[in-house]
Amino acid sequence: MRFVSFRPASCVLATTALLLIATAPLKAQTRAETLRYVTGASVNTLDPNIPGATRESFGLSMSTYDRLVSFGRKQLNGKWVFDLDTITGELADSYDVSPDRLKIMFHLRKDAKFQDGSPVTAEDVKWSLDRCVTAPILGKAQLLTGSLTSADQFKVIDPLTVEVTLPKPDKLALPNLATVYPIIINSKVAKEHATPDDPWATAWLKEHTAGSGAYVVETFKPGEQVILKRDEAWNRGSANKPAFFKRVIVQSVPEPATRANLVERGDADLVLDLQASDVQSLEAKGKLKVISTPQYNAITFVSMNNQIPPFDNVNVRRAIAFALPYDDMFKAALFGRGAPLFGATWADGMPANGIYPFQAPVKIDLDKAREYLKAAGLPEGFSTTFSFNVGQASTAEPMAALVKESLGKIGIKVDIQKLPDAQMSTQINEKKLPFFTEGIVAWLPSTDYFYRNFYTGNQRWNYSSINNSELAAIAQEARFEPDKAKYEEDGRKLNAIHFSEMPQIPLWQPNQDAVMAASIEGYTYEFHRQLDYRDISRK
Amino acid sequence: MMTGVGATMVRAGRRLLSSLPALFGVLVFTFLLMRVLPGDPAVFFASGPNAGKEEIELIRKQMGLNKSVPEQLVFYLSDIGHGNLGRSMMTGQPVLKDLRERLPASLELTFTALMIALIAAVPLGVVAALRPGSIVDHGVRLFCALGVCVPTFVSGLLLIYVFYYLLGLAPDPTGRIDVFTSLPPQHTGFLSIDFLLAGDIDGWWAACKQLILPAVSMALFVIAPLARITRASMLVSLGSDFVRTARSVGLSWHKVVVTYALRNAILPVITIAGIVFSTMLGANVLVEKVFSWPGVASYALDALLSSDYAPVQGFVLLMAGIFVLVNLIVDVCYGIADPRVSIE
Repeated sequence: MRFVSFRPASCVLATTALLLIATAPLKAQTRAETLRYVTGASVNTLDPNIPGATRESFGLSMSTYDRLVSFGRKQLNGKWVFDLDTITGELADSYDVSPDRLKIMFHLRKDAKFQDGSPVTAEDVKWSLDRCVTAPILGKAQLLTGSLTSADQFKVIDPLTVEVTLPKPDKLALPNLATVYPIIINSKVAKEHATPDDPWATAWLKEHTAGSGAYVVETFKPGEQVILKRDEAWNRGSANKPAFFKRVIVQSVPEPATRANLVERGDADLVLDLQASDVQSLEAKGKLKVISTPQYNAITFVSMNNQIPPFDNVNVRRAIAFALPYDDMFKAALFGRGAPLFGATWADGMPANGIYPFQAPVKIDLDKAREYLKAAGLPEGFSTTFSFNVGQASTAEPMAALVKESLGKIGIKVDIQKLPDAQMSTQINEKKLPFFTEGIVAWLPSTDYFYRNFYTGNQRWNYSSINNSELAAIAQEARFEPDKAKYEEDGRKLNAIHFSEMPQIPLWQPNQDAVMAASIEGYTYEFHRQLDYRDISRK
Repeated sequence: MMTGVGATMVRAGRRLLSSLPALFGVLVFTFLLMRVLPGDPAVFFASGPNAGKEEIELIRKQMGLNKSVPEQLVFYLSDIGHGNLGRSMMTGQPVLKDLRERLPASLELTFTALMIALIAAVPLGVVAALRPGSIVDHGVRLFCALGVCVPTFVSGLLLIYVFYYLLGLAPDPTGRIDVFTSLPPQHTGFLSIDFLLAGDIDGWWAACKQLILPAVSMALFVIAPLARITRASMLVSLGSDFVRTARSVGLSWHKVVVTYALRNAILPVITIAGIVFSTMLGANVLVEKVFSWPGVASYALDALLSSDYAPVQGFVLLMAGIFVLVNLIVDVCYGIADPRVSIE
């Protein structure tokens, strides 16, 4: 099939090959010191607080900015994951919590400098935290979950000490300061770029950084790539030395097959978002390191709208729960790569513990499902639609087909609806979808946080529109429960209500499959489900 | 020939004026279309873990969606009048800046693909026309059919698989330039030209290597129409009186085929090439996606999927503008190839 003679081209190819070989040692050296990380989506802002920021932007901000504190890490089934219960200092050298747990005093590191060389002071910390709770940005809603709502709560004691005051003891106040949003900004630089309409310099910070993080932004092309250079003076890592890689390239490669090719050929060092089938084949070949971590702060579920008939009848919801072919769905959607949330056995019909998400005692049992339908007064079944969004198509499409087939057996006729992402989120927000699949993630996965955010109130995240006063009351109470045993008991109660009401059917926690070159070490599953470049090294 | 050129210019000017209403129509139509499509972009973009009503309202205000549609349209038109195409929510950049940065990438790729297609298609068409019904003719037909049948992204993925994954000849298919090569100073936005201007031959070659695979996968798809049209008009022209005359007076084969027959047969090819070019520019979103090519088509698709109005509107306007421009150029080329066209 030669329609153009390639002869001149191959001559040139040969010569360049020679040239490349001549310059190879030099190139290879810098290549070894460079981390090339490819992603499907792209970084669209340098300030994670900007509405519409992508997850990739969150991941990037962890390395370009420091926060007061950060999460530690722990081993979970032999894999490193972030640890919500260990809060270590980042810009703070140490912190003290007052006995009544209403005041947290942060002592800043003496040697911390911004990337322009100026020292990090308590003034900068106060300005940054004020911005987070005052400006119309994403951090506001997040810090609210830790009772941090007003600039009056942050006080400068001396140039290296900041005091945070809480209205009541809140377990989530400190962890919130380790999340993506409360970045510590060089306030002098930011103020220079503030305008009367934009006193918090949000427009400027979207495209520039003024932080003290491990990496300096060298070039930023929104939607394409970001190139980072190591800040040699940064020493907030675990070993008090700069990050390992001299350069980091975060590149957007939309085609998942191409991402798989790149990492397999060694042109990319690490990928997190491959298709499950590609991960399987790469793992089978055994040349690369594959670390699969169940996303223990995420859940994929099938949700019913508890206000739309016939799903307002609890027996209909239970019928559905016993008519889903869980194992087949798990295989078809994820090739079994994840942690199942079905098929448990509860000895006394009560949840084993107070942890959410829990593994529920549901499995496919069509006779039981038919009985529930009868009890609901719908022995003949009914018709409904099952929706998922295009962005999830690779996993949701096979799943939807299986749901349709299985529910058909008990007389429920299902129409599958594939919606564009924006349309799906609109419909969910307006509570118009009767029956659909979605996923949720909590950055701070404590039981009460899950229940308050996803199962109470008339908010967007209450996917099932459940309105259960008992559940809401226990979840609110648990939020400020200091006693661990009591908290555990509250959690068990909540899980029991969840199972008996069946607002949603949890399916599984998908794995985060990190596929990397064999030489890459130190990968940790982070709460923002992105790569923290500071964790990574090459042996 | 002054009069010829003058006449062509006058005609071009008139064409340009008469296309303005159409452009305005496209503008308004796209604007309205984006607003009747289901899906609220504000809800989509407010998808942080804690996005509430407040944040949705904020984004709505940012995007100017809190006003009525007629009001929005008036604001939009006045913005366009001031040369402001709005801001993209996805990239956070002004749409004009995004398009300006991405258009050269798309143009460079499309031009290269069209060149490859023409270099391959015209000889194929001519060869097929010289021996109609022969084995060569059938071979060309088969090749064209294959090119059209295989969707561009499939041929793209195949080319990547063979030349990058298996043979390792091609560089990794991620964008316009290998990430480890530093970019030349920007003059034209066409990397291959900018590298030459900077005198950086290594860089130029690196850019060309990145360009070959996507351009070939694009070209494969459009060789067929170009070759078929070349063949058809060559057949007509070879059977015409002037060619017979030229042959009978004993002019060389080369002169007959190239100077007489091909020059007359090339007109429809130019027309089709113009149309093909405009189509390729917008329709090759799949090639851009497969090769992570930072062009305008993939940008528009991403925007459409996330209901980001401003970029989609900007993109349609740009495409309409380019279409008008290409038609003009085709017109002018026509005038040069066949002076009779300019005679009113």
